[in-house]
Amino acid sequence: MSNELSKGALISRGILSQNPVFKLALSMCPAVGMSTTVMNGLMLGVAVLFVQIFSSLTISLFKNWIHPRIRIPTYTLTIATWVTVIDLVLAAVFPGAYAQMGIFIKLIVAFAIITMRLETFACKESPSDSFFDAVGMGLGFMVGMVAIGFVRELLGSGTVFGYDLLGFKPFLFFILPCAGFFVVGLMMAFFNWIEARYRERMAQKS
Amino acid sequence: MKKSALKDISSIVIRLTVTCLLAGIIMGLAFVLTHDAKEKNEQIRDERVMYSILGYDKKNPAPKTMSLHTVYRYILTAGETQTVAYLVPVESNYSLVEVDLSGAFVRQIALDADASKLRNEGERNSVVQDAVGSDVESRFADQFIIVMNGGKRTAYILDGRYPGFKTFIRVKMALAADYSMLGFEVLEHEEDPGLGGEIEQKWFRGQFEGKSFEQLKAAHVVRQPMPDDLRAAIIAKKPTQEDEKIRAAHVGDDIYALTGATISSRSVLNGNQAMVRKFTYRMDLLDQVIKTQGIKVTF
Repeated sequence: MSNELSKGALISRGILSQNPVFKLALSMCPAVGMSTTVMNGLMLGVAVLFVQIFSSLTISLFKNWIHPRIRIPTYTLTIATWVTVIDLVLAAVFPGAYAQMGIFIKLIVAFAIITMRLETFACKESPSDSFFDAVGMGLGFMVGMVAIGFVRELLGSGTVFGYDLLGFKPFLFFILPCAGFFVVGLMMAFFNWIEARYRERMAQKS
Repeated sequence: MKKSALKDISSIVIRLTVTCLLAGIIMGLAFVLTHDAKEKNEQIRDERVMYSILGYDKKNPAPKTMSLHTVYRYILTAGETQTVAYLVPVESNYSLVEVDLSGAFVRQIALDADASKLRNEGERNSVVQDAVGSDVESRFADQFIIVMNGGKRTAYILDGRYPGFKTFIRVKMALAADYSMLGFEVLEHEEDPGLGGEIEQKWFRGQFEGKSFEQLKAAHVVRQPMPDDLRAAIIAKKPTQEDEKIRAAHVGDDIYALTGATISSRSVLNGNQAMVRKFTYRMDLLDQVIKTQGIKVTF
């Protein structure tokens, strides 16, 4: 109830100033492991977005009934439930996409970003605020994954969305898991640099 | 102090139980709602795999005259003696043909069931159990499909499962009428990604295509790189006559192992060999019985 941000600010906060991948540096393992292509990043991002929204809403609705000592197990149960539901629905409705991303979906249960949003936001705020916060964080994660996937796919295999753009493979290294850390680190630095310059300019203007 | 702790504990237990129950109900509902669609998807996928190993796809559809005849194999146990029962399609219906282990005909039981009912494993099992009587124990073993076109057998499709490097590899295989290999597809496996997982790759699977029964039986796994021209010929999207020629020249070759996954390569070869060997033995035996007993099967 202490939240004074508007709905738009809640969403943009998740994408920009508190981006889960580049600012909060949460859920780095999946970000590194699955962002080898844009498509993988996008699919995982969409799945996380849905799980985050459903879990945040559930926790926010039932926050008064959750015993403070067992809140973490309750969060995990909630997330696991929604992950299972999304897993089943995807398998039934989009079998083609599911064949590719099936193993990733089950991993969402252990994503730090979702538990963290439930712990710091959804268990204190109203359902509608939690919903917009979840949308913002989910989108932020998706944007991060797609951005990393884009760089790695383009530099690693010379393609984007599977379409051959360069015609050759510049650096195979970028497909390998360890390169994920380099890409994340460099992009983090890049975005921080842009932000710092933007701040500077704003300060100079005023 | 003690009382409040007890209260806490009971409250935690109750809340956790309720949470688990609710979660279970939600997951159960989702399962029930999506189960049928999922099964249908799997069936569609199965069929697509089947047509693809027969060489048909959207651009090159299967001929209308082609028909599929499924045969189910059951193991019957009555006390100490074991027999094998084949559920075969006959002219208007299905019939259970029981054969003992030496291949001699035991009996034939006519069944009243249609193909769509028998496709469901649970219903099929109860139909077979009813037919053989309650003192005989029946167990479903496997099934195969006989592909007919223009009154002739053109192919057999078998489902198989054999041990890989870690766990089982599940495959679907197509044999021509002379038991030569048309191809196979890996449906499920848990080999190491990037090493044994490459058994899915077309260039590896393609080595088996076209091998006759004798060639397959004689083949070994060799730790040599596959010749570049053969590899290019196998993975070619639109194979030219030249490609076909290269493949024909190499059809008697041993199986070139996957780099770093000799065990997986060997498991696939051994598994395929065993599958074909067992199937040909059974099929010849069944054909013999059908011929001598004059059973009017549809295939």
